[in-house]
Amino acid sequence: MDLDFTRAEQDFRAEVRDWLAGHVPGAPLPSMDTREGFEAHREWEHLLAGERLSVVSWPVEYGGRGASLVEWLIFEEEYWAASAPGRVSQNGIFLLAPTLFSHGTAEQRERFLPGMARADDVWAQAWSEPEAGSDLAALTSRAERVEGGWRLHGQKTWSSRASYADWGFGLFRSDPASARHRGLTYFMFPLAGVTVRPIAQLDGEHGFAELFFDGLFVPDDLVLGAAGEGWRIAMATTSSERGLTLRSPGRFLATADRLVRLARSTGADPVLADQVARAWLDAESYRLHTFGTARRLAAGEEIGSASSMGKVFWSELDVRMHALALRLLGERGLLDGGAPDAEEGGRWLDGYLFSLAGPIYAGTNEIQRNIIAERVLGLPR
Amino acid sequence: MNFAFTDDQLALAAAVRQVLAAHCPAEAVRNGRSPAWSQLAEIGLFGLLVPQEHDGLGLGLVDAVLPFEETGRAALPGPVAETAVAAPLLLAGDPALGKLAAGSLRVSVRIGDQVYAPDADLADLLIVEREGVPHAVRPEAARLTPQSGVDRTRPLFGVEFRDATRLRTEVAPAVRAVTVAVAAQLVGAARHLLDTTVGYARTRRQFGAPIGSFQAVKHRLAEVAIAVEFAAPLVYAAALAVDRRLPTVDRDVSAAKAAAGEAAELAAGTALQVHGAIGYTGELDLGLWLARVWSLSAAYGGPGLHRSRLRTAILGTPEVRRWP
Repeated sequence: MDLDFTRAEQDFRAEVRDWLAGHVPGAPLPSMDTREGFEAHREWEHLLAGERLSVVSWPVEYGGRGASLVEWLIFEEEYWAASAPGRVSQNGIFLLAPTLFSHGTAEQRERFLPGMARADDVWAQAWSEPEAGSDLAALTSRAERVEGGWRLHGQKTWSSRASYADWGFGLFRSDPASARHRGLTYFMFPLAGVTVRPIAQLDGEHGFAELFFDGLFVPDDLVLGAAGEGWRIAMATTSSERGLTLRSPGRFLATADRLVRLARSTGADPVLADQVARAWLDAESYRLHTFGTARRLAAGEEIGSASSMGKVFWSELDVRMHALALRLLGERGLLDGGAPDAEEGGRWLDGYLFSLAGPIYAGTNEIQRNIIAERVLGLPR
Repeated sequence: MNFAFTDDQLALAAAVRQVLAAHCPAEAVRNGRSPAWSQLAEIGLFGLLVPQEHDGLGLGLVDAVLPFEETGRAALPGPVAETAVAAPLLLAGDPALGKLAAGSLRVSVRIGDQVYAPDADLADLLIVEREGVPHAVRPEAARLTPQSGVDRTRPLFGVEFRDATRLRTEVAPAVRAVTVAVAAQLVGAARHLLDTTVGYARTRRQFGAPIGSFQAVKHRLAEVAIAVEFAAPLVYAAALAVDRRLPTVDRDVSAAKAAAGEAAELAAGTALQVHGAIGYTGELDLGLWLARVWSLSAAYGGPGLHRSRLRTAILGTPEVRRWP
């Protein structure tokens, strides 16, 4: 057991740090959940991709560098420490891409991955439905078999990035006689053929949307994996979403460091100081834990349901850190970017509202605790 | 970067676990003062940190951390952390190291934030800190005052002494190492409490169903699993920091002890609540582990003391450092 980076890993860190120092925009980009901000984030992704930094862990042929998991973690630490923009492409590169690598055809990978890496195509996830949230297997959107492909019907909701994205992916019931986890198929589809109704979030922006499918035709080559196998294939994606890929420690380490700096500048009474120190150490613990997980994955082990422990831990840590920052700032913490007195342009408030979604999305933390109890600890259903 | 235990490290822990399963059942914890001692000596537990020229294995704290988790899991009685972890550092260079490695020299210590010496009545040698300097005290030169307490299988003693030999070593490295070893024991005890409580919740039925099928119970146990899962890496990293003498070592040791103590206390409280009234009896073995968690969590500085040091370390320095 050690915690030493190799020479090559240190060189990689230095390269990423230098490049980011020279290229991260001086002023934050406008929110990616506005039309203007979305395109600005797409431009930033082009810049990253030009340096092969948008998807470092992917193979070279698809725009990556073939980096190891540890190198990817290093990239993430540097990325968030540099206050670089949020990743508008994250649904594609972190949720869909791992599924394309494991279950897609060679043609699908060649067709979609390079555009995803450059954010020429930005992808939206389409899991939830009005009556299928935490209980995803209750979904009723359906795929009707037609000559050469399928027609999609039904409604999806809370579809992140769908307001401005180009493509979507999700599950549809392809066997009308099926129930629950069976008879589902994983589809990719162009959003151009879907009615998209943006939904205003707590922060007033349109980070997610409702999707209405009215017989959109989807050819067979947009089916991911075998028809009827959608649930099993999607579960591979959701454990990525809960575990390593969506929320690398880098983001929380950067927040924890900012929180400590904020507490030093505002001064913190012993009660808040204690909570700040705890949060900093929790982020450190998540980082160490992730290094252990990376090692096990590299050795070919599966993480499986244990990723639910990480999801509960990071999502609640993120809320705690942002809530603490607002408490340190007092009334000023609740000022948004339009207020002259706002701290860092309202960044703590934006982060707080964003963090509140964490314990809800990718399976609520109540569902995660059930998964931990039943599948990790072995308690009865 | 390889933040995972090696096969050798895992094998040593497995050997300790096997010995304890055979020689330190709950019955031995309840009635024995130092069960499994000679068997643990045979597989080298007491020589782990003793240099090879004194017939030890010459390994580091990172090699000892999983074996110590196992001693915590079994609630092994006796001054094990003091003998196997603190003593090799305090007696560095001393000819007594050979006996120590062989398991024929039992040591209790009162160093650092310890007020009392645990299991001092069993010790062949006491090492006591006075004015920042460690002193060796022979048992016949010491007057022990038993301070009976909640953990009857880890009795504490006040120590007064007449003659003492000043040791040439420093106290701080031994305090750090034994604190991490006790943190590892707390993680092991917490794992035992979680396993035992899950086992009980699977079989105990009320309202026609196993109580472990109720979400209120599930979520409490999930909470314990998360706390233990994220305390353990801090303990492992602290062991590395001790071995490498990193500049952040004091902070890392405090983080390990505080997190492990809090996780174990959560495990203990949850275990008692889920067991219900049967858990509150002295007849069930559960109480042995509850008392051990309470006593180890308070040993070598409790969470309160270490959290206060962490506040200073993290907020009171110009730039907080992350390693590597």
